[in-house]
Amino acid sequence: MESQILTLVTFFPLLGAALLLLIPKERHDSVKSIALIISFITMLLSFWLYAMFEPLANGMQFEINIPWVASLGISYHMGIDGISLLLIVMTTVLNVLAILASFNSITQNVKGYYISMLLLATGMIGVFCSLDLFLFYVFWEVMLFPMYFIIGLWGGVRRIYAAIKFVLFTMFGSLLMLVAILYILFEYQSFAGEYSFDMLKLAQMPLGHQAQLWLFGAFALAFAIKVPLWPFHTWLPDAHVEAPTAGSVILAGVLLKMGTYGFIRICMPMFPEATVTFIPYISVLSLIAIIYGALVAMVQKDVKSLVAFSSVSHMGFIMLGLFALNLQGMEGAVLQMLNHGISTGALFLLVGMIYERRHTRLIDQFGGLAKVMPMFSAVFMIVTLSSIGLPLTNGFVGEFLILLGTFKANVWYAVIAASGVILSACYMLWMYQRMFYGKITNKENEGLKDLSIREKIIVIPLVLLIFWIGVYPKPLFDRIEPAVKQVMNQMGRSGTVEVDEDFSIKPVLADRTAEQELIVKAEKEGE
Amino acid sequence: MFPYLALAAILFSIGIYGVMTRRNVIGILMSLELMFNAVNINLVTFNKFIIADGLSGQLFAVFVIVIAAAEAVVGLAIVLLIYRNWRGVKSDYVNVMKW
Amino acid sequence: MDFQLPPYDLKMMLPEIFLFLWALVVFTFDLLTNRKKETAIGYLTLVGILITGVLLAFTGYGRGFGNMFFNDPMARFFKIIFLGAAFMAVGSSFGILKQRIRNHRGEYFGLILLSTVGMMFLASSQELLSLYIGLELTTIPLFVLAAFYKDDKLSVEAGIKYFIVGAFSSALLLYGISFLYGMSGTTDIVQMKINLAITHLTFTNIGMTLVIAVVTMLAGIGYKLGLPPFHQWVPDVYEGSPTPVAAFLSIGSKAAGLVAFAKIFVNGLSAFHGPEMLPNDWGQLVALMAILAMVLGNTVAIWQTNIKRMLGYSSIAQAGYIMIGMVTMNVYGLSSVAFYMFAYMFANMGAFAIVTVFEDKTGSTQIASYRGLSKSAPGLSLTLAIFLLSLAGIPPLAGFLAKYYVFAAAVEKANSADSASWLYWLVGVGLITTVFSLYYYANIIKQMYFSREDSPYKIPVSAPAMMVIAICLIGVILFGVWPEPILQFAGDIPASFGFIAR
Repeated sequence: MESQILTLVTFFPLLGAALLLLIPKERHDSVKSIALIISFITMLLSFWLYAMFEPLANGMQFEINIPWVASLGISYHMGIDGISLLLIVMTTVLNVLAILASFNSITQNVKGYYISMLLLATGMIGVFCSLDLFLFYVFWEVMLFPMYFIIGLWGGVRRIYAAIKFVLFTMFGSLLMLVAILYILFEYQSFAGEYSFDMLKLAQMPLGHQAQLWLFGAFALAFAIKVPLWPFHTWLPDAHVEAPTAGSVILAGVLLKMGTYGFIRICMPMFPEATVTFIPYISVLSLIAIIYGALVAMVQKDVKSLVAFSSVSHMGFIMLGLFALNLQGMEGAVLQMLNHGISTGALFLLVGMIYERRHTRLIDQFGGLAKVMPMFSAVFMIVTLSSIGLPLTNGFVGEFLILLGTFKANVWYAVIAASGVILSACYMLWMYQRMFYGKITNKENEGLKDLSIREKIIVIPLVLLIFWIGVYPKPLFDRIEPAVKQVMNQMGRSGTVEVDEDFSIKPVLADRTAEQELIVKAEKEGE
Repeated sequence: MFPYLALAAILFSIGIYGVMTRRNVIGILMSLELMFNAVNINLVTFNKFIIADGLSGQLFAVFVIVIAAAEAVVGLAIVLLIYRNWRGVKSDYVNVMKW
Repeated sequence: MDFQLPPYDLKMMLPEIFLFLWALVVFTFDLLTNRKKETAIGYLTLVGILITGVLLAFTGYGRGFGNMFFNDPMARFFKIIFLGAAFMAVGSSFGILKQRIRNHRGEYFGLILLSTVGMMFLASSQELLSLYIGLELTTIPLFVLAAFYKDDKLSVEAGIKYFIVGAFSSALLLYGISFLYGMSGTTDIVQMKINLAITHLTFTNIGMTLVIAVVTMLAGIGYKLGLPPFHQWVPDVYEGSPTPVAAFLSIGSKAAGLVAFAKIFVNGLSAFHGPEMLPNDWGQLVALMAILAMVLGNTVAIWQTNIKRMLGYSSIAQAGYIMIGMVTMNVYGLSSVAFYMFAYMFANMGAFAIVTVFEDKTGSTQIASYRGLSKSAPGLSLTLAIFLLSLAGIPPLAGFLAKYYVFAAAVEKANSADSASWLYWLVGVGLITTVFSLYYYANIIKQMYFSREDSPYKIPVSAPAMMVIAICLIGVILFGVWPEPILQFAGDIPASFGFIAR
């Protein structure tokens, strides 16, 4: 049981989906409650996982390694480190809240909706658990179609366009990834004499510089579409705006993190040299994303698309932190992945709640909501501040570390990024001011009800998390730090980049050993 | 050996040309027969000039004749269906489906 | 001459002989029995196919009839596919059995069985003459089956088109075969391989003759497989023929063409695929056809409004993917082709089965009439969606692993030799067109699910059709998640062609 706990966490939602299939579709209430119970148990399982996880320990934990398709070298290899652990916990928590949040808003084809949500959960948890490239790819694709249905079936007016755009963008990226996976497989075969998709083994394989660049490019494109990095972000606002609330929550909270997770788990350990080469390009794209996302968010009329573009900006921060390639930057980025999931997820949930009441999301339709909905406004305020990154909220810890790390890596990047923080304060607070303060200009807003009990149950855990991470993030860092250090050590192992004492990655330029010099020379001649 | 092969090639080419250009389905069937018979000439020629002993080529030709006959039977049956449906056997009629 | 057949040889051929006799039984059964029990003959056919399958399982590997008849892993693997395709085609024919082919039930089922016998012979033949006979026995019944709705102009048109193309391609193939025979002096494929190499080394001027042979044979088999530029008949025939026949064509006939291709080209002409054998290299020609197939099939399919035509274009594209595996000429190539065909069988037969039951009820094959089907027939819509996603190659369904395996074979080859790096292009085109294909497969899903209007159709599914759909569904999911036994089986195939893992 204990050795298979990852299997259990991953496939429990799938089991639940199968169970839902058996329930007659007219019985909406039992469908809803079973979906909720299943996701709740999954969440408890992930808490159990958290409790059993040994902090400050190196290496993967709860590893499972069983041959799956032996003739192609595919194995069922799962295992988690601190980064995946926290992402899994966040996924399961958000999944419960998303399911709870859709009780009223989803009225058509209820059964299909909850089945999709549970399938999606399996795909997402699977991505974070898998240590086998092939398995990773399978889960990566598995979550594609439930999301397609969630956007396309239960979404807004332009839902079909948004759904198809989402699928085609993602599919394009993942097929490139597939080619890269194939190439790596055969490279590894000629290196080690056996077929394997094992990420840990593959990370030990030395690759030529040219090959690294191509492979990094293929993987990075797939992940950058998912993140989404500017200029691959165009699917995101469409998908976010058209998706139902729960879809947006999962999309922003978890799906985008799969992109950044891919960078940490696959790109960096396997192609360290290419990672270093790509730093300036990705950093500049991240900076553009930060500024561009913030500026576009500022002019949005629709709250939901404002939040969507703020996501682009925040994901830019995370990428910048990752590619600072030092301990502070990467730890901050990983933490910010959680924070973004929590605060943006909360924002989408809150926007969904007001949309259920008023059936509009246009900012100028609101105004003075603070008077009629004090509780709602307070929560919204907390989440807004967390999204801006005010001290004592979770956003501050992450953003501060990212900026610190970036500052160590490149001062100018940090300066530009810091201006992004200010911009984010501008658009978020301006939006808040227009919606909640002032007089009630629109008569329809006068009779709005404050949060119901169900809605309170949804937001309270998020608010608690916001403050908890903001005040006492140490337990999280205890889990993140060994994992980040391990990624860095994996990078250092190849000999082409080195990790210095305070854990930042530098390319090995001077004082190569004579042997390495020869290899480099041979490579150049080979080209 | 060469004249025989050339004859076969010419027959075969006439057959291809006929299949491509004929507007009458019966004509197409006849062109197909030409093609099969070109193959038969080829087979028999090779058997005679290259494999002096053994009958494999001629045997092959006999089989081809039999199969071509079977094919013609099916073909004519379908032509009959065309006649019943369209009251004619021009291949232009038979063009309900277009891409 | 002593013409005694050793009993051992006959035993090798037992499944084929049995199925042939069973076909005769089916022919006569319809004449002799009470015509009111209309479904009995369908069940009779199904039982016959099942028994043949059991016999196949008990027929060991070996060879008979003076090396003309081989039972090797390849033969057995493809025989399973043929029997599976026949089984599912028959299973989904019960609807038209009651409605449209009342008076010719015996002929219909008997011809399907005869065609299957031809395919099975083809899979076992190791010699050009029996290969040709097997191919003709496969296609001649199919001509009749395509034109089976005698009063339906579309069906007759499909029949005549398929007939002309089929006979024409046979003649082309034969013309090429006759040259192979002339150059090698034998019809035995293994012997031919040796003789051709010797002739090629001794006479330097056979190059041109070989080119004629290769080109005509490639055209002949290209027609059978529906590879561009020989593909024009595919959509018309698929649209016009009875739907189960179209399904049978798409799997059975295609697999038969693949077997013929593998035997003649991959085995017989294996020496003539490589940079040193230019301009006789057939591999790059085939690669070009495969690229055309993937691009053309996947793009034209987008504009189709008829689901059978769309599946026709999709099958052109799928043939392109399969040919990637064929031209790699390594261990993975052939086994990936076999696995691809196996996975493709479940997805395509399943999709066609649903199209059939839909057509039986509504009489329509327009994609637009699937609008809103998810509300009136949720189970059917979900299964059709799964089949289409498998065709598009979405994990964890079997179609994904099949595509993956084919691409893996090509990358392996391209990686191993500099002269084969053009295979990367093939893989690249394959991947990009896969994204295109997703568009039109997803379009049907979109029609079924995303339309707000309700479908007026309640679709009843007969028990045999239900069985076929269930088998296909299980196949698509099971072999996507647990493909190991099939992969092992398919992994045995290349050895019989002399390919050994490096």
